[in-house]
Amino acid sequence: MQEKLLTRHFGLENFFKIDEYLKQGGYQAVKKALEMKPDEILEEVKKANLRGRGGAGFPAGVKWGFVPKVDKPKYLCVNADEGEPGTFKDRYIMSHNPHLLLEGIIITSYCVGIHSAYIYIRGEYEAVALRLEGAIAEAHEKGFIGKDILKSGFDLDVVVHRGAGAYICGEETALLESLEGKRGNPRLKPPFPASVGLFNCPTVINNVETVSNIPLIILNGADWFVEKGLPKDGGTRIFGVSGMVEKPGIYELPIGTSLKDIIYKHAGGMKKGKKLKAVIPGGMSAPVLKADEIDIKMDFDSLVEVESMLGSAAIIVIDTGTSMFDVLKAVTKFYYHESCGQCTPCRIGTSWINKIVKRMDEGKGRKKDIDNILRLASNILGKTLCPLGDAAAMPILSITRKFRKELESRL
Amino acid sequence: MVKIFIDEMPLEVEEGTTVLKAAEKAGISIPHLCYHDAFPPEGSCRMCLVEIEGLPKLELACSTQVREGMKVSTRSEKVVEARKGVLEFLLAEHPLDCPICDKAGECKLQDYYDEYGLFESQFNEHKEKRAKKVKIGKNLIHDQERCILCRRCVRFLREAIKTQELGVFERGIHSSVNIYDLTPVNNNYSGNLAQICPVGAITDLDFRFKTRTWFLDKGESICPLCSRGCSIIIEYHPGNYRFGVTKKVYRIQANTNQEVNSFWICDLGRYGYSYLNENRLDRIIVNREEWHLEPARKSVIKFLGKRLESLASGGKTSRIALILNSWLSNEELFLLHKIFKNDLNAGKVFFADPPQEEGDDFLLTPERSPNKRGAREMGFDIKPVDFKALAEETDVIVVFGSFLAEADLKSALKKIETKVLFSSHVSGLNSLFDIVLPTPLIAEKGGSLTNVDGRVQKFSAVLDPPGDSLPEWRLLAELGREAGINVSFYKEFTSPEDISEEIGKEISFFRVEE
Repeated sequence: MQEKLLTRHFGLENFFKIDEYLKQGGYQAVKKALEMKPDEILEEVKKANLRGRGGAGFPAGVKWGFVPKVDKPKYLCVNADEGEPGTFKDRYIMSHNPHLLLEGIIITSYCVGIHSAYIYIRGEYEAVALRLEGAIAEAHEKGFIGKDILKSGFDLDVVVHRGAGAYICGEETALLESLEGKRGNPRLKPPFPASVGLFNCPTVINNVETVSNIPLIILNGADWFVEKGLPKDGGTRIFGVSGMVEKPGIYELPIGTSLKDIIYKHAGGMKKGKKLKAVIPGGMSAPVLKADEIDIKMDFDSLVEVESMLGSAAIIVIDTGTSMFDVLKAVTKFYYHESCGQCTPCRIGTSWINKIVKRMDEGKGRKKDIDNILRLASNILGKTLCPLGDAAAMPILSITRKFRKELESRL
Repeated sequence: MVKIFIDEMPLEVEEGTTVLKAAEKAGISIPHLCYHDAFPPEGSCRMCLVEIEGLPKLELACSTQVREGMKVSTRSEKVVEARKGVLEFLLAEHPLDCPICDKAGECKLQDYYDEYGLFESQFNEHKEKRAKKVKIGKNLIHDQERCILCRRCVRFLREAIKTQELGVFERGIHSSVNIYDLTPVNNNYSGNLAQICPVGAITDLDFRFKTRTWFLDKGESICPLCSRGCSIIIEYHPGNYRFGVTKKVYRIQANTNQEVNSFWICDLGRYGYSYLNENRLDRIIVNREEWHLEPARKSVIKFLGKRLESLASGGKTSRIALILNSWLSNEELFLLHKIFKNDLNAGKVFFADPPQEEGDDFLLTPERSPNKRGAREMGFDIKPVDFKALAEETDVIVVFGSFLAEADLKSALKKIETKVLFSSHVSGLNSLFDIVLPTPLIAEKGGSLTNVDGRVQKFSAVLDPPGDSLPEWRLLAELGREAGINVSFYKEFTSPEDISEEIGKEISFFRVEE
């Protein structure tokens, strides 16, 4: 059986409560970290090669290192917007192991010199938000959050902020705008949030799963962490498997576990009588893989090699009974609906493609439509203000290219 | 300084310059819609994408700052394709109603299609239906279908005027610019919105459907309606005899002037141009038949000169009265000071200007004339007209402008023997004077004005003055000679520049630093 790190105590009743959490050895990482120097923590996190779990895979330690040492307030924003279709791992961490996340927040804040942390959680996660708020109150009571934490002289406040239901607000700069009370539109980068972020102050933005790994690194050391995954990509990933498998759910496995094994060994294989057709390996914006392309390691670099991406490690399994046209339809409709409308290619491109697909669906497809979809998606790819454009173009391009014949049968 | 290459052309620019501005310096224009010099880069239209050697993706010219050795390509195949792609997206949802769009002829989208587009439409879908005629301000109509969401209007109200009437509503393809809670744009700078809109989304009720932009000639001038001295562009139809179209000003636009008004003008200056078109005086009037005076410039000026000369030789210059205004240029005020103060030492000198009104904390000043500061620096004591004093012991009165009320003047003028008016407009005052000389407005002559901050700004004629009007400086130089006191001095002045050179010599405030 694979060793679980983040999800180890998920089965325990009341583990989300601080008493049980402490009983299982909780908050030891915070105690240890507060005795370390911030620079030592930063070094350890850098050495651990912890890459961002939100999708882009940017090394967390490097990100923290970008925060300038200026005399301004600094902020931590934990990205709990989890909007990527197929992704539900952060929800599990927050509802089953909220104190691990809080430990991560405390250590990250202490390391970077932050006294205000925000958890930006998607609006739909109401129950999860309430659980987080409960956990924060408990931690406050025990002196892990608030003034002079464990008599170390370090102060920290943690606030849960619920989003209003826009996919775009998972994009880090749109998240900042939304958190500031504005319309959730992405900002032009540079400047990057590390130097000009929330309220124009230096800001660290990390995904829930990324932050939740920090206590483990502090307790067990960077070398231990790297060993759990790959040298350049340390630790485990929580794979969220959905679709036509016997046992959909979350699976915490070492980074680099094969996709084939995840589907057939861990998730129980295809549902009875169903045959594998395609897999989306990293949330809906990841380019699709065909059934014969799944013999691959699930880590950032390996997936880039097959022109896909690990993204949020949400695996969507599609069977032969599912029409790829319907998949394309769902994908285009989603991005058309979620485009914020700020920049031209994404605003009009996603809508245009959606109009074509809708027309095809009504049986009014034309011969040129497929080529036109490819052309339009290419004109979005790499040309938008934020990654949403790419997130829309990549799956559309890959589905259209890899399943062209099937789509043409709809014309 | 940073050395870069744009389209292989070596270039040295200051650190911190953006690629867009650097290219501009090299004479290469990179298309852009959302970017405007007044605001920080927005990066939303995606028209200005360029290729930078070593970078995998195309980058924004409007926001990317130059780096030493940077090699930028603004015309590579990749760039041209991307530009076409963005234009194709914009035009897919943009109505093709140029023939009835006010912006046609000065529309950036139209220009860019002409320059970089020229493709067959592949758009076989229905365009989004949106509101076509939303009244977003007292003079402004917004067409949501034409809007390309560059947000220049939103940013102008947010960042320049800080009134924030406009915002973007809804998201994705349904995004649209609109006012909040039906509160229209109702500030004194609303007209700028129509000007900065790069397409015909915001149109101006004052201009809407009245003419086509390509019929209009343009010229730079200074707004005379307050003492800020904003740089403006006057746009006028030169007239077309064949079609019975007369010369007419159709629009005033803001001109860029970083030192004074940056890119904006107020609505008072923008919409208050009817004085240029209406009730203009175009001929000399002589109301005293018994004088047998030919209504021509030479004879009239000669007549006035002789009158002044005779008063001077009789030692009666205290019986000369002068009413000025601060719409007169520095050059004209200088000559007036020379003739009436230095040469003649006239008894009474008053100023009659439009009354002060409320200003604001942006551009509009309370003074409703352009050159009060100039008059003061020229040595005039700006006193309002004392009608009682005027009526007593005055033989000759010379009045500039028609800012006085007819009723006030009427009784004061009764006993005065010689009354001369210099006026640009037909008004009730004209019948009260013996001689009326038509004069041009600021837009119709050359000279300089001194704004409220003491900034001396030159202007030259954009429009031909109507009929027999001649600029006051020319008439005054002639009058100076005819008055016979300091004849040789006035011979020198054949242009406003000649006069301003002399001003610089005599008054240190106006000295031009070499």
